[in-house]
Amino acid sequence: MTDETKLLEARNIVYYYEGNKTPSLDNVSITIKKGVKTAILGGNGAGKSTFFYHLNGVVKPASGVVLYKDVPLSYKKKAKRELCSHVAVVLQNPDDQIFGQTVKEDAEYGPKNIGLPKNEVEARAKRALEQVGLWDKRDQNSLQLSYGQRKRLSLAGALAMKPDVLIMDEPTAGLDPQMALELMELAEQLHHSGTDIVLSTHDVDLAYMWADEIHVLRKSEKVYSGKQEGFYSDSVLSYSAGLLAPSMFQMNSTLSALRGKDPAPYPRTEPQLIAKMVPDKPRGTMQIVPFKGAITQEIIDSKKSNRIVGIYGTEVRKSVASANASVDFFFGGLESCLSQLLNGEDVALFCDPDCVDLMEKKIAEMSQFGDPIQYQIEEPIVVEQHTEE
Amino acid sequence: MALFEVRNVTYSYNSRQKRPSLNDISLKVNEGRRTAILGANGAGKSTLFYHFNGIFKPSAGEVLYNDRPLDYSKPALRELRNDICVVVQNPDEQIFSSTVESDVAFGPMSMELPRDEVDTRIREALDMVGMTDYRMRPSTQLSYGQRKRVSLAGALAVRPKVLILDEPTAGLDPQMAREVMELIDQLYCAGTTVILSTHDVDLVYSWAEDIIVLNHGELVYSGEPEEYFSDPEKTAYAGLARPHTFSVNSYVSKMRGLEESPYPRTTSQFIAKMAPEGAKGGHVRIVPVKEGTEAVEKTGAVGAYGYRAKKLVEAKGIEVDYMYDALEMCMQDAVKSKDSVLYCDEVLVDMAVDRIRSLESFGIKAEVIM
Repeated sequence: MTDETKLLEARNIVYYYEGNKTPSLDNVSITIKKGVKTAILGGNGAGKSTFFYHLNGVVKPASGVVLYKDVPLSYKKKAKRELCSHVAVVLQNPDDQIFGQTVKEDAEYGPKNIGLPKNEVEARAKRALEQVGLWDKRDQNSLQLSYGQRKRLSLAGALAMKPDVLIMDEPTAGLDPQMALELMELAEQLHHSGTDIVLSTHDVDLAYMWADEIHVLRKSEKVYSGKQEGFYSDSVLSYSAGLLAPSMFQMNSTLSALRGKDPAPYPRTEPQLIAKMVPDKPRGTMQIVPFKGAITQEIIDSKKSNRIVGIYGTEVRKSVASANASVDFFFGGLESCLSQLLNGEDVALFCDPDCVDLMEKKIAEMSQFGDPIQYQIEEPIVVEQHTEE
Repeated sequence: MALFEVRNVTYSYNSRQKRPSLNDISLKVNEGRRTAILGANGAGKSTLFYHFNGIFKPSAGEVLYNDRPLDYSKPALRELRNDICVVVQNPDEQIFSSTVESDVAFGPMSMELPRDEVDTRIREALDMVGMTDYRMRPSTQLSYGQRKRVSLAGALAVRPKVLILDEPTAGLDPQMAREVMELIDQLYCAGTTVILSTHDVDLVYSWAEDIIVLNHGELVYSGEPEEYFSDPEKTAYAGLARPHTFSVNSYVSKMRGLEESPYPRTTSQFIAKMAPEGAKGGHVRIVPVKEGTEAVEKTGAVGAYGYRAKKLVEAKGIEVDYMYDALEMCMQDAVKSKDSVLYCDEVLVDMAVDRIRSLESFGIKAEVIM
């Protein structure tokens, strides 16, 4: 169960940009809870980014107060720097955030800046670059990276701070679909390992799949806080906020209405919708294989025997990619495997060892939409890596 | 008929590139087909676009427009760009002038049109993108979404035969994105050929008749979307994911022992296909909007489709339930056997009727009343 203590709280904050007579945030109160995946939604110019700048103390409200773990923020230089190591904000445009020359120098910038010892700085930068899949490019000039790579580099810069809360402004904007899937999986994994994630987005479909709770801004004011279904069920409210109901929500509510059924439980992912729509088809089973180290095609094939194979997790994905091995689902592995399972196929899912309970949690969520999913967790496979350079 | 033909085109930005940005690409873009170019970041989408209006000249191969190879001489290119407009993804690369007006005037002015014609076109273009009130504003004071619309207005003022849009909805909120797509439909219905590039596979699937898929400068696919998305390996290879509607239809049809075809591309079509046997459709009353159109009796939810329809309902104080995505929302109502009223720009009427009637092939007959 989630621990619903307050993580960040904005109380009645008002903010004006210089020279503006109308406020960019108008008496906004939002509480972000620990362990609750939170999305801030709103149309262009609603105040999402302005709100984010308040959370890490970059911007001070004209009135009202921002609290981190129940303590009001201090805007003194030293306190602000201290806050940066707890609350990291990743901006929408990576170029506003990338300072360093090489990729590695850029990832080291933050930890260096808070005065960490050299070996710690290096270790953190390495880990962060590995998480976003840029360690191979560590010696490249950051200006030579593609947009998607720069976007991941700016995320690495934040991860290197090992923040308690990671705040991401439009993290998937401008990314192609696979990169977006990969990034959301990383966000899920980070959240699961205890880093709280708050993100802003325009993408209602993405937010619907991911967020536990939303806060909606409209023209500088907060118009909604709570569960997503409550917001989209009120079409006048969601319309006036510049948003449209996610297609998954539309499909489910209309289909439920046609069958004279209650729309709840609300499917938010493809397999959940499929399970709800076809409850009576015999299903396959899932083997979950926790895996760490250097994977080979032989290892993958040893679990295959008529199973469809998917992967989940940043480490195992990197491993499969560097082995040039082939699996059926390289992106969106869990969802695709679940859909296949509903269609009667047996599936195997290789995942990072620290993702096993996350997988179980997601599998458990499926049981709202039909019979429980049959799965088995296998003994973890660990292959020593010899390739340490 | 092929409007553009790209024959074995290879292009490199400079000689030091390890592999060319476009590698031996051959494809056709047909006149009157809604065409989308898909591909991951860096696949070569923008590079291909700039070949259509002659900004880039292929290192090898050739580009034909209306069956004639492009002429890269200055006067010929100038003429070509009166026909073909490219709207780039980042509006800041396209907005040069100090005010909105002078920016939109740039295209028609360089065509050396008479002053009052330029003025008419500015007015019309700003009207279409809903930026009339901003005509005298400095471009620098606009928000991102507004700048994006001004850059589109700049292209519209040229009244091109072909409009090429690079990521037209990127960075826009859902309603603005719908509005831009509606405008694109409107131009398309009025005879403009529209080619767009996007990452958004769900959007593409509901819009495009043909797709062109690029990956690392190579052509992966060209043709109707279903054949491409049916091949998961090919889809994954190009950095894409399958559209939700396609994927869910594919699984559920298989599991219920139904044919995958007909393929629903929109939520309303999907719901119609998945609705219980015997569900009855509601009707959509279409009110074509032109000069002097009056409000009609409200017999259900009311939608406004097209920029003239939006203006009308505002001017007449008509209460509207669906200001955005109105056609789709009225279709969803019809599937739920609810009646609705759709104020619809004249130019969009045929398309709206076709779409509403398409529901019948998915199992629900929705009547159109004019």
